Parts: sequence; C-alpha cells; structure tokens
Amino acid sequence: MAKTYQYCVAENWGKGFIDHVESHRITFKGYPANVWQVPAYNKHANLWIAKVAGVVKTKDEAQALVDAEVQAAQAAWDAQTDEEKSDERNPRPADITLEE
Amino acid sequence: MAEYKEIHGTKIRTYTTNPDNPITGEVWYNDTDNVLKFAFTNTTTAWSTGGTLNTGRESLAGAGIQTAALAFGGEAPPNTGATELYNGSNWTELNDLSTVRYGLAGVGLYTAALAFGGNTGPGAVTESFNGTNWTEVNDLNTARNILTGIGIQTSALAVGGYTTTRVANTEAWNGTNWTEVNDMNTAKMRLGGNIGVDSTAGLAYGGSEPGGVTANTEYYNGTNWTEMNNLSTGRDSPRGGGTTTAGVAFGGETGGGSPGFTGKTELWNGSGWTEVADMSTGRPSHASAGNQTLALAFGGQPAPSNGAATEEWSGSSVTTKTVSAS
Repeated sequence: MAKTYQYCVAENWGKGFIDHVESHRITFKGYPANVWQVPAYNKHANLWIAKVAGVVKTKDEAQALVDAEVQAAQAAWDAQTDEEKSDERNPRPADITLEE
Repeated sequence: MAEYKEIHGTKIRTYTTNPDNPITGEVWYNDTDNVLKFAFTNTTTAWSTGGTLNTGRESLAGAGIQTAALAFGGEAPPNTGATELYNGSNWTELNDLSTVRYGLAGVGLYTAALAFGGNTGPGAVTESFNGTNWTEVNDLNTARNILTGIGIQTSALAVGGYTTTRVANTEAWNGTNWTEVNDMNTAKMRLGGNIGVDSTAGLAYGGSEPGGVTANTEYYNGTNWTEMNNLSTGRDSPRGGGTTTAGVAFGGETGGGSPGFTGKTELWNGSGWTEVADMSTGRPSHASAGNQTLALAFGGQPAPSNGAATEEWSGSSVTTKTVSAS
C-alpha cells in the first residue's frame, strides 16, 4: 500500500522554517523529537525537506524517536508524588502513534 | 446588470497611488502605472513558523498583536514570571512579572497589558504592564487558576477557571477594581477567551467541564451569557483572538493526552465556527495574541520543546490586484 506520509527530523529555527506559502500548499504536523510529518510523493514537501535540511526517516525510525521522548516524559510523570499524579490537570503523557 | 457606479456610488476614480484602505470590490485606475486595479478578499489562510521564545513554557498568557505581542508567566518548569516581547520576528526579554505563576490570563496590548489569576499564592493577583514594568493592582474577588481573559487593560473580563473545582464565575475589570457579574451557564476550566474587545462583549469557548472536554461556546453581552453554536472540534485549552463578530480559535487538546493535541483552527463569524487550516504543531496550554486576520500562537505543551514554538496566522484580508487583459 502506498504510504500517505513521509517523516523527517529537522529543528524548527523559527521564522521562515515553515512559511505561509508552504503551509498553504501542504499540511505539516510536528511531533516530539523534532519529527515532522508531511505528505509523501509530493514535490512541495520534498522541496521543504531540502530547505530545512531535514533528515528523512522511515515511519518506524520516526516512531522510535517519538517513543523515546514520550517515554522520558512518562518516566518524569511516574516520578512525581501521588498528590501530583492525582491532579486531573496533570494527566500522564500518552503514547503517540504515527500514521503510515 | 448593475453598473459599477450604482453599486459603489461613484465612477471609477483615478489615483496617482493606490488608496490606503480599499474595500472589497473597489476598482480604480492608477495613472502612475497606467493600470486598472481592484481589491478583493484574499481567502488564503495559513500558519507559518515564527521566532522561538527564549523561555519555552506552557500555561503562559499573552497580549498584543502579531507584530507586537507579549508573553508572560507560565511553567517551564519551574514556574516563571518571564516576560517577552515579539516584534514579528524575534522575542526579546523584558522585566518579569512580580508574582511568578502559571495558569494565568492576559489581555491588552504590549504597552498596556493586564495579567490576572494563576496558580501561585491566592491566585487572585492582578498586575498591570506599561511596556516596561509590571505593577500590582487590585486582586480578583475569586482566586483561581487556568481561567481566561477578554478585553483590554482598562476594561476586561476574567472568566471561569479552577478553585477547588471548576467555576463559572465572571468578573469585570474597570481599570481599578474587579466586580462580580453574572456567571457563565456552565462551569469550566482551561477554556478559550481573548475574543472580544472589552468587558461589554466576549466569547468563551471550549475547555473542560465536569463531563470532560467541551465544544461549548458562550457569548457575553455585558450582562448575561448565552449559549451559541459549538466549536466543530471540542477541546480544552484552545486560544484565540479577535472580536465577537470576527474571531479565531486554535490549538488545544481533544482528550486522551498528547495524542489529542490539536492544531485545529476555526473562524468565528458572530454566530458559528468554520474550520480552516491547522497549526503545524498541535498543542494545548499555549498563549495567543492578535485577531482573526493576523494572530500569533506561542508556547504550550509539552514544555520546553513545543513550549518555545511560535506560529503566525494569516487569515483572509483585502488584497489589491491589477486587471490584466492577458
């Protein structure tokens, strides 16, 4: 099955990292660990990855990077006191599943 | 067929330079460039990245416009009183809040802002910013955290939040004191605000009710709250900007923690919401500045990674085009 998305790692440097024209042409989705999801087989997405010097990752590689960051956040949450954990405003960070 | 003159009440005018504020549909002749011009509503709406905050954080507050925005307070962690000014490209550090806190609300402009509520101390502390320093002023009547704000430094609303439970309390600020006014219909915390120009009209949307995340929208007319059409996507911690007839709401959490972080953006036209382009980094507990046409989202969960990110919203605007025969 053809994939819908591709993934890369790139650090958001701020202004100009994603501009209005790029954002209008394709849909970006940012994840922990500087992982970015953009459409697969898309000229504008490929041009953007080149612009930001993104390191292309397979979905499994990107998932592993996201998992590592989420697991670190979960470990930090687990180390909190019971009182802190019971606060409904402070839920445990949940797993994130990347799309194919 | 109606003629241009019948519609606009004038013949096509000749200008040496384009008019400063053309209205949608206006046509004119530019005799410097020898071209016919017209104004139309550009409906290209999109987010782009902006400069990153110096102090990444969540549950902060914001004020101002897209090219002169203020970020203050929040949880890095630890809790911070850091105040930063955005100039359209970069964030610069200014003097800190006197009372360090997160979960506070903010309104106003960067030269005249107001911060109120939050998690620290009694949670009622109000501070006024003059562009340089924060000064403590009179407290809220009901101390609370994760509330929202609407208005400006001299005329504002403090809405909802959490004390030991979710509250529907609304207080109006007249520049000197807070006064209790009528409650919202439903108690909620982590709700969206900053849509409305002063204490006489405002919109509260989304948030967390006892039953969970809500899409509920309520309109305040200066006296009472009225239920309006819901957000298309229910979420807590959305942020936004604009007026009660032209607002924008963005970001939040749809439930279930980080997989539910959303960048969904919706436009408010005075009676209902319409979904438009998403932010690239979905996140709750961020802050906002600006209006429906030019807005800013900054900070948010998880800090400090998402907590430093800024995105600039460009909504529809009146744009000038040249009539071409080709």
